[in-house]
Amino acid sequence: MRALHTAATGMMAQELNVQVISNNIANLRTTGFKRQQAHFQDLLYENFRRAGSTTSDQGTQVPAGIEVGSGVKTSGTARVMIQGNLTSTEKEYDVAIRGDGFFRIRMPDGRTAYTRDGSFDLDSQGQLVTRDGYLVDPGITVPQNAKGVSVAANGTVQATIPGQTQPQVLGQIQLARFINKSGLESMGDNLFAETSASGPAIDGNPGSEGFGNLQQNYLEEANVNAVTEISSLISAQRAYEMNARIITAADQMLSATTQMFRG
Amino acid sequence: MENALLIGLSRQTALGRELDVIANNVANVNTNGFKAREARFREYLMPTARADAFPQADQQLSYVIDAGTPLDLSAGSIEMTNNPLNAAIRGDAFFAVQTPAGERYTRNGAFEIDGQGRLVTSDGHLVLGQSGPITIGTQEMNVSIAPDGAVLTSQGERGRIRLVRFNAPQALNNVGANLFASTEAAQAAPEARVQPGAIERSNVKPVLEMSRLMDVSRSYQSIASMISKMDELRRSAIQRLADANA
Repeated sequence: MRALHTAATGMMAQELNVQVISNNIANLRTTGFKRQQAHFQDLLYENFRRAGSTTSDQGTQVPAGIEVGSGVKTSGTARVMIQGNLTSTEKEYDVAIRGDGFFRIRMPDGRTAYTRDGSFDLDSQGQLVTRDGYLVDPGITVPQNAKGVSVAANGTVQATIPGQTQPQVLGQIQLARFINKSGLESMGDNLFAETSASGPAIDGNPGSEGFGNLQQNYLEEANVNAVTEISSLISAQRAYEMNARIITAADQMLSATTQMFRG
Repeated sequence: MENALLIGLSRQTALGRELDVIANNVANVNTNGFKAREARFREYLMPTARADAFPQADQQLSYVIDAGTPLDLSAGSIEMTNNPLNAAIRGDAFFAVQTPAGERYTRNGAFEIDGQGRLVTSDGHLVLGQSGPITIGTQEMNVSIAPDGAVLTSQGERGRIRLVRFNAPQALNNVGANLFASTEAAQAAPEARVQPGAIERSNVKPVLEMSRLMDVSRSYQSIASMISKMDELRRSAIQRLADANA
């Protein structure tokens, strides 16, 4: 019976849907997290009677054919790259991006990763690093005696050095943009990697054409909306139950068939 | 005597088909732009013997046979996603999509931009504009879709999504992956409008499908019990007749 397999594809799809939703909810408080959404597609159809085929010599046609589908498959779990809320942390190395762009992070293996998580810190050499200790690219080193480090909206990092009247420019934070942000590969640890689907990174200064501004002392929250996720969870759970009901019904029909004749 | 079995069998085959259609609808309850199908059946009259000279006329028998699985073309519910690359069609139009097999049509408006800046479906098929595929340059930002299907960026209009309609939408064939194929040429639908930042969900009505499921399941069981009673009848007839002869 085809219905058994069709309902099984439905259950598998809803199981994956619940996985995606639970990951979104688990990351409700993850800085710079972008929610994912599962997208589904119908599978192949079997055509028993084709619509539009001729039914008589007078040229009458079948208005609606017999097409029976074979279930559902997941077409993708696209990231929804919309802005998350900014929350004030009053930490001087916390930087949020308002608008488009990613921070560039130099990975220990030499590759470049991209993130929206701007919760930076200084390492023992005074270099600006992520929570995992990876260097921010281009590198910014804060002198030991520097006070009052400020990150401007355009990415310029300045600090007051005792004995100097003018604030000293320490460096410039750069951002990267992608033509298809949803095509970035998730590496975990809030990091993304460039792929052929995302297109090459376009580097630029914050605030320039197409790039967002930086906001010091703020972090970008996850863009997960708990209400939306819970309502999707309910709908996924109900869909799973309905598919299970189909399997029960198909099973009952099969068992009715086997019990028709007592040998 | 075998007729009751065969008529019951024709009904069971039809119910099996209807269950398959329901299963596919329920499996696609969360598929964007999915259109449910319904199973329809018709009576099939067994031709009777031409000769009417017999004392008892030939009996008219009616079987059940599949007539079609018409599409339910009603609109699905509209979910606001606030994703600027999503669009839901208001009305009876379809989006046109370029696939390797030719032009296909869909109601699924969850679009994306690929690495070359082209507007594509989640399978990477090009979404067709009124003058070919729609491409967005790397320096452009704030991509949005207007209610008339125009794709706007900071550089102005980059193209207009082609919306089409069909004179006989029931003749559309499902080819999977949320796409429809048509033998009939698609007509332009200049009056069609889209809802930006929204996705049309599946139009499967779970309550309806569940009640159909119960109907199918119970009907199947009652036919099964009828066939099994016929079987008992035949069995006892054979036994009694055998006894009488002994």
